[in-house]
Amino acid sequence: MSRYLDPEESTKPYKDPTPLPADVPKVKELGVTSAPLKSAAFFLGAYCKDYNEDFMLCKSENRDPAHCLKEGRRVTRCAQDLITKLRENCLAEFEKHWNCLEYNNQEYYHCRKDERVLNKCVFEKLGLTKTIPGTPEGKTPIHEVKNPVFTGVQK
Amino acid sequence: MSTPFRQDMPPPGGFEPVKYKRNLPLRGPSGLVILGGVTAVCAYGFYRLGKGNLEKRELQREKVWSRIHLVPLLLAEGDRDAYRRQQAALEREREIMKDVPGWEAGKSVYNNPRHRSSESIVVI
Repeated sequence: MSRYLDPEESTKPYKDPTPLPADVPKVKELGVTSAPLKSAAFFLGAYCKDYNEDFMLCKSENRDPAHCLKEGRRVTRCAQDLITKLRENCLAEFEKHWNCLEYNNQEYYHCRKDERVLNKCVFEKLGLTKTIPGTPEGKTPIHEVKNPVFTGVQK
Repeated sequence: MSTPFRQDMPPPGGFEPVKYKRNLPLRGPSGLVILGGVTAVCAYGFYRLGKGNLEKRELQREKVWSRIHLVPLLLAEGDRDAYRRQQAALEREREIMKDVPGWEAGKSVYNNPRHRSSESIVVI
């Protein structure tokens, strides 16, 4: 009786047979694919710094998934919040940048033009800047270099 | 039949002068120029290579940090799912072993409180 049932062909909507226990508060999962996440990564790091660090400190205390559920929910809610704000304020720029990433092997250096527009918009609307930790002192961060060696091929 | 006598003479205007000077036509740029040119091209290439290497390092740093910023988010999501599976497995074990007296569901085989992820999961 263990026949494979394609969820696409199912008439009933999928119901999780083993949901989370009822005493754990529900949180909507982010449901964002890799390219938008990569596009928003540095803003996420800046916007949710406190929650992220709290969560990682908690994880370093104990690797048990049950130990940091509360902190994890905060991280996810913060990310939800940021993505919503990004979509409210800079929808066109955001979509353009992550589509560029999607089509260019998810490499930042192919999409500098769209990235600068997005960074400018996010800075003006949300006040978040992209900073790469560990960049050598006194050097231009790689995303602001005017004439880089590595650029998109034939574009 | 006899031809009249004729003295063999130089061509009119005289013989052309004897070519005794060395004839060496120009054969392209000198070795020194070629050597210099090749050196210059190589030097520029190595300069670009060095620049590119420095830039590659920064690009790698950018990529790594973009991933580091996403770790807590993905880990939190994965943890919720791991916790759900853990609880479901516990429930199943309790149901299966309910007739065995003294059975502790979910008890680790190791005498160590450190968390270990389960060796097998039920994909549902």
